[in-house]
Amino acid sequence: MAEPQVPEVRTPAAPKQHEKYPWPEHPTLVGTRMKRLDGPVKVTGAAKYAYDINRPGQLHGRILRSPHPHARVVSIDLTAAQKAPGVKAAMNVIDPGKEVMYQGDEVAAIAATTEDQARDALRLIKVQYEVLPNIATIAQAMQDGAPKIFKDGNIAEGEAQESGDLDAGFKAAAHIVEASYETQVLTHVCLETHGCVCEWQGDNLTAWASTQAVHGTREGFAEALGIPQSNVRVITEYMGGGFGSKFGPDIQGIVCAKLAKQAGAAVKMMLDRKEEHLAAGNRPSSFSKIKAGVGADGMLTAFDAVSWGTGGAGVGAGFPLPYIYRFPNRRRKHRDIYTNAGQARAMRAPGHPQGCFHTEMLMDELADKVKMDPVEFRIKNLPPEAPNAMWRTYYPIAAEMFGWSRRHPTGDPSTGPIKRGMGCAANQWGGGGRGSKAHCEINADGSVVMRCGTQDIGVGTRTHVTMVTAETLGIPMDMVKAEIGDSNYPFSGGSGGSTTSPSVAPAIRVTSGKARDALFARVAPTVGVDAASLVAVNGRIQSKDDASKGLPWKDACRLLGTEPVSVDGEWEAGLSASGSSGVQFAEVEVDVETGVTRVSRIVCVQDCGLILDPLTAESQCIGGMVAGVNYALFENRLLDRNTGIMVNPNMEFYLLAGPADIPKIEVKLMNQPERGVIGIGEPPTISTAAAIANAVRNATGVTVRSLPLSPDKVLTALAEREKTGGTL
Amino acid sequence: MAFDGDNDSEAHQPDEQSGFSVSRRSFLKTVGGTSIAAGVLAPGATDAQAGPAPVGPGAVPIELSINGKTHKLSVEPRVTLLDAMRDRLDITGLKRVCDRGTCGACTVIVDGRTIYSCSHLAIEMQGRAIKTVEGLTAGTVLHPVQQAFCDHDGLMCGFCTPGFVVSAAALLEKNPKPTAEQAKAALAGNICRCGTYSRVLEAVLDTKGVSRG
Repeated sequence: MAEPQVPEVRTPAAPKQHEKYPWPEHPTLVGTRMKRLDGPVKVTGAAKYAYDINRPGQLHGRILRSPHPHARVVSIDLTAAQKAPGVKAAMNVIDPGKEVMYQGDEVAAIAATTEDQARDALRLIKVQYEVLPNIATIAQAMQDGAPKIFKDGNIAEGEAQESGDLDAGFKAAAHIVEASYETQVLTHVCLETHGCVCEWQGDNLTAWASTQAVHGTREGFAEALGIPQSNVRVITEYMGGGFGSKFGPDIQGIVCAKLAKQAGAAVKMMLDRKEEHLAAGNRPSSFSKIKAGVGADGMLTAFDAVSWGTGGAGVGAGFPLPYIYRFPNRRRKHRDIYTNAGQARAMRAPGHPQGCFHTEMLMDELADKVKMDPVEFRIKNLPPEAPNAMWRTYYPIAAEMFGWSRRHPTGDPSTGPIKRGMGCAANQWGGGGRGSKAHCEINADGSVVMRCGTQDIGVGTRTHVTMVTAETLGIPMDMVKAEIGDSNYPFSGGSGGSTTSPSVAPAIRVTSGKARDALFARVAPTVGVDAASLVAVNGRIQSKDDASKGLPWKDACRLLGTEPVSVDGEWEAGLSASGSSGVQFAEVEVDVETGVTRVSRIVCVQDCGLILDPLTAESQCIGGMVAGVNYALFENRLLDRNTGIMVNPNMEFYLLAGPADIPKIEVKLMNQPERGVIGIGEPPTISTAAAIANAVRNATGVTVRSLPLSPDKVLTALAEREKTGGTL
Repeated sequence: MAFDGDNDSEAHQPDEQSGFSVSRRSFLKTVGGTSIAAGVLAPGATDAQAGPAPVGPGAVPIELSINGKTHKLSVEPRVTLLDAMRDRLDITGLKRVCDRGTCGACTVIVDGRTIYSCSHLAIEMQGRAIKTVEGLTAGTVLHPVQQAFCDHDGLMCGFCTPGFVVSAAALLEKNPKPTAEQAKAALAGNICRCGTYSRVLEAVLDTKGVSRG
């Protein structure tokens, strides 16, 4: 299913501020660099992740997975495994007769006293497979006579999307570029693998899960197990990375719950690293064949592309194309290719890094045709500026920070094997929010609890909830306890699509505002003023007209007696927005003798509306760019093209950047307080790989149109140039 | 730990069930006195000869000294130090991530040197002074490098963080004022997926008050 092309950027209506609880004009906490409150428990190892939960009498679960990328399970015999030492529960996960569709597809499962016993018992399960033909590569799926693996065919053709007059566009072009671009499959490599601990008390299930969505996971458990959602509680106090791959219980969670039921004991089921690579999601590959035209004046005229990609067994691989820049006449046709490989899941800005890479590389190739500076060329072809489309402003700011004026034309003219180059790229993302609910209690002792069924996937949500509550109540943060990560707390959606902050922060602002108003109503008679004239500032409840008429926070709260303030609130419009934009510049050093690329610097200019906490927002940008370095240079899920077996399901051959691979990173956040809160999880990771790829091109003078930019590809491109006499 | 064995469809007998039982002496006769590793022989095969007593494959009592405290536990000889601490002793600060010596999330300090606890057997670690991330904190006072991680936001999801903290503390106790290159080298065995590296490095270089250990 092809995703629609990126729509033209529309200027959002002038943002309307929340009437009752707008963001403060002069905040004391919001917008300050706030150290994350759970830093100490994380740096001391005290934080308990799902992986760290050890329940009394807890068993360990393991899953037997298909070694074949495509096979029919003829029979499963658990008898010997059930008798093995320590085994307390065993089950089929797939029904005999059904097909496994990729290496790592679940077959059966065991729970035993120790994990080693469970592993031993897996080897005693006798499975008879009828091995079936498999498709490991896109080429195999597309070739004539390919085995039809998937019910509706191996290829899902999308509708062609067309606008303008393509023929006229190409006729108006002074230059045409025709090129093919491609990106690889990544896996999420969450350091805490997927999994959970499940424990039953009668018909009630508690699951300590590593998830980005406690409520969504509760729903998933209830639906799969056929029990009411009210019988399920999902707890995620801390979680070790998700990046879009952890939104439900998954098969391993359901299996864990069933094994726990069967054994009558808590079961821990955490995937191992190999399982994580095979079966816990990935970012699909992407390919395009593009023909694009540009006028002698540097204006884009036409864009015609076919694209495809694979998200594995039956999952789509759509991505936006072209990305951001305006081609007045364009056509794009996309097809999803299905292969016998692990299924894609959302991964940090789904589709955008791919679309950005294809388009931004094309932009540099087109800019060279008209001999224009790539930044100037991009600015010429951007959509009109709008609050969610600020690239015209950001490109010059970032170029100045970066020292773009020192860029040489394509191909470093210096002698010696180390070639330096610069590149740039832009990003856009939605990142709006809605729907979160919260509950706030103000107690007679002055303590405050804010509960929200969101979760912190590493961005600092707990800190931000505390900060907004304390800001609204005019008290120090250490008087507020933020309770999150539990499906027993008020509903909040999954942490995906950069929606958490714009969903949660408004809910917290409204809920703490309501709690404050309730407190005002209770203390107003004692203060002797109208409740409407009270404000909560500097740890006091006082008249806004006369600071002497008031009470310290604790004295005010003492008036609550035995009945605390206890209010519910939820997300309301006027405190958040959708739509962010940013640009990035990268500098690389390429050794043309070894083909090895090092990224030396990245500059990022990024907005996300009202910035709650610059410290953690910058960390999001830094992390996103490091992920982009990985995408550009290192990560690559490799399947053997003959067998369909993954050859690097580990962390030594599935490459990830280490401390020595990290460039100098500069982040400039652009504050847009009038827009309210916008998420920043995904946008900074979108444009990094494209900027690096353009920098490699600028350094070497050859164009590597394929990620990752591994040494072999760089050397091959350089050798090609030698052969063809040194032209680009 | 298990590489490809997990997905084997063929039945395979684990050692406990194979009936493998032979006295050490007769085994030595058979193989002509070649030295053999402890741990492959069945229980009950001990005799009074010199050399390490054979143990396993069943659970055997061991003692581990962790953060200055002695823990008695019973584990099979194949159990790694990492799993023994996490699963048997509920010491969970160190994490299992790659489980094969690549990522550093399970890093502990043993007799002053960092090791990957996923790559050492618990039974081998008897009589050694093991320090985990939990052992860096003095009461409620953070180790200076832990404080620096917090101050510089050198963490996000936090799952790699204990391993980075331990590697950094081990470096700083040897070299309280490392250069950036030295710090990168000392942390080269640790991987972070959230991408906190630059702030981790800032934290390590800005840590004050670590005395040479």
